[in-house]
Amino acid sequence: MIFHSLDFVLFFVAVTLVYWRLGHRAQNVLLLVASYFFYGYIHPWFLSLIASSTVIDYASARGMERWPERKRTFMAISIISNFGMLGFFKYFNFFADNVHAVLAAAGYDVGLPVLRVLLPVGISFYTFQAMSYTVDVYRGELRARRSLLDVAVFISFFPHLVAGPIQRASFLLPQVEEKRRFSIEQAASGFYLMVWGFFKKLVIADNVGVIANKVFALSDPSFEILWAGVFAFAIQIYADFSAYTDIARGSSRWLGFELTQNFDHPYLARNPADFWRRWNISLSSWFRDYVYIPLGGSRAGEWPWARNVMITFLLSGLWHGASWNYVLWGLYHGVLLVLTRAHDILRPASRGPRREARGALTVLQVAGMFALTLIGWLLFRETELSAIVRDLKLSPFDSTPLERQAGLYLFLLAFGYSIPLWVQSIWIETHRGEPARPVGWGTAALRAVACGVAFAAILVLRSRTSLDFIYFQF
Amino acid sequence: MRRAALLQLLVAAAGLLLIPLGLRAANRLYAAPDLKPSYLPAIEGPRDRVPFEADRIPALAGMNPTWVVIGDSMAGSRIDPALLTRLTGGQTAPLLYAGSGPAWWYLALKNWVIPSGIRPRAVVVFFRDTNLTNVMFRIDATWSLDTAALDREDDLNAVVARRRGTAFYQVRDRVDRVYQASQARRWLEPAVNEWPARAMFPFRRQRGALLDQLNERFGLAHLRPMDAADMQATEDREADFDAFAADSTLPLMLRDARAAGLPLLLVRVQRRPLNGRPPEQSAALRRYVSRLHAYVESQGGVFMDDTGDPAQTLDLYEDGDHLSRDGRRRYTEMFAVRLRQRFP
Repeated sequence: MIFHSLDFVLFFVAVTLVYWRLGHRAQNVLLLVASYFFYGYIHPWFLSLIASSTVIDYASARGMERWPERKRTFMAISIISNFGMLGFFKYFNFFADNVHAVLAAAGYDVGLPVLRVLLPVGISFYTFQAMSYTVDVYRGELRARRSLLDVAVFISFFPHLVAGPIQRASFLLPQVEEKRRFSIEQAASGFYLMVWGFFKKLVIADNVGVIANKVFALSDPSFEILWAGVFAFAIQIYADFSAYTDIARGSSRWLGFELTQNFDHPYLARNPADFWRRWNISLSSWFRDYVYIPLGGSRAGEWPWARNVMITFLLSGLWHGASWNYVLWGLYHGVLLVLTRAHDILRPASRGPRREARGALTVLQVAGMFALTLIGWLLFRETELSAIVRDLKLSPFDSTPLERQAGLYLFLLAFGYSIPLWVQSIWIETHRGEPARPVGWGTAALRAVACGVAFAAILVLRSRTSLDFIYFQF
Repeated sequence: MRRAALLQLLVAAAGLLLIPLGLRAANRLYAAPDLKPSYLPAIEGPRDRVPFEADRIPALAGMNPTWVVIGDSMAGSRIDPALLTRLTGGQTAPLLYAGSGPAWWYLALKNWVIPSGIRPRAVVVFFRDTNLTNVMFRIDATWSLDTAALDREDDLNAVVARRRGTAFYQVRDRVDRVYQASQARRWLEPAVNEWPARAMFPFRRQRGALLDQLNERFGLAHLRPMDAADMQATEDREADFDAFAADSTLPLMLRDARAAGLPLLLVRVQRRPLNGRPPEQSAALRRYVSRLHAYVESQGGVFMDDTGDPAQTLDLYEDGDHLSRDGRRRYTEMFAVRLRQRFP
């Protein structure tokens, strides 16, 4: 089931109404049934995967606690089953294609099987979430749960099941286990988040997505058209993914849950490290805690640190999809981080510019980081390596006046749609650190107007092309 | 505190529902020009339309073809009309529109072929998988649909209305009527999409030229092969013949062809082969095709399925499901043989 459908609205209203009439255990049963209904709505066979992942991880965690001397065996079972499932559905064809290409290059034309099966939506998200549970139990940071129901609800909780944010067991499981109370403040903030999320998805992401799709469908883009398309894609992926997160967080609040924040205005980042503190935070922190730190993090010096960063980002790229362009994207961001660190080592921070120059420097840093991010999005969006090479060779000096006008037109169009995102980000950034004040009637009235304008915009400006959430494919 | 939060939530909900009513007032300020109602009131309000191409009727009557071929690029990339004419000795009239759908194919038969009074040996319609029973497939391609539609298309509209008569559309229509959103969309959407052109050029003529050039720049000729090929996969939920056949243009086409005494040949093209084999078909799609075949023949039509034809190998194809120039020649040759066998 998808969020931007009438089916979901009816489903969500019905679940919420019934939910608050039930006791705690019955609420969890309802959440499990609702989550499985949500996930299996179009392809019921997906349920067999999430159910088996849940049972295996539950049993592995219980096994670790009961037989501590066999902890490693149970951990291995969990890792093999989760990564095995992910590898089979997500990476089998990638592996087979590459083996075939290597063999063909060596003169052996071997027909390897092709897997004709749909990639189960959200499999990368819930396998990582389930893994966080077993790894935390293995490390002794979490006790294994006795209740299979609670673990199943933790893994399958429908608001964030398909595209995150990936929740840690230590954060979400206690919320599943504890009695929840309906809070009108929480519900109100959830309502605003959901309206903002629907606006971002239907008005911003889907409209600029059409621009990006058109540009990336061209066989002969010019420099200006290509980069206008990359800009549109940058807006699309942020608006789209953060919209999903907002709707997930908003709907969770109506059910008495709090999910972690996944985005913190990433296009205002000043450097690569700052960007990764703001972009897809739940995935970045997963890789930090379960890959980067176990590899040694920054403990053993600069070279091992650089190696660990590159491995972490390579895997992060591969997590996004079974394609070399995602690997390139991951490595590109790894290189950016390493180069930033090298720069800091070679040129230690001075006292910094004078106060009046600080604002201009910040703007330059943000613009520079945004430009670097755009190069990354080109690698991410362009699936063919030959096309990436062609794109990077494009020169503005080869364009005709029409190409320049077309590029400017597309850029302005995408920028126009993205204005609400920039306004929100800049407003939050300039008010960061200020103490939270209770919501007064002035703010409430402003929010009511914003909700009305957002709904009006959805009615008249939603894209005629309804696109799936981008992160569904991962 | 709790009471204040509840009141603020109610105010927000009221704002959400009431402020868009301002669209009704805005529609009075920016009234759309006086437009005729659409021939598909089930899905759209009044709008500008491309005129009906009435001159196709006398052209067909004058040509008096032996074969009429209707379809989209599937037909266009498979049949070479001049070659088919040469091979069969009978004139071939192509009624083709790239990116058209079953509604256009039905209208072409009803509004051009039948009124022309011609008596071809067969009217051939090419389609992919479940196209014939999915009236919504490319129903929004109004630039093509308009060319074949009269001012009123009650049968087509009824089919579309039945097909979209789900709760979703009913709710959407009701919301649309309350807020007059479609009406507002007609003036607001162009204003939003054209503002960059207005910012760039002060004169209307320059803006028009830019937008025309943009349309050309993003046309089929500039697309990557696989994007131009439009390789949409058939979804199993569409492959339910019994659920969708009655709410499609298929019964209308078969009925009208039968009433006019025109043999209707429906050709299901083979999708692009994969790994040297015809593409895999799900069990649902196989069941669907079997039901479609039986239905077409029971209603007096002729059904032909290219899928699995050993002669239609990958080397005939160019991009997606389209055939190459050489593939088109070879396909036309094979098709001429089959036509002569089926319609001696």
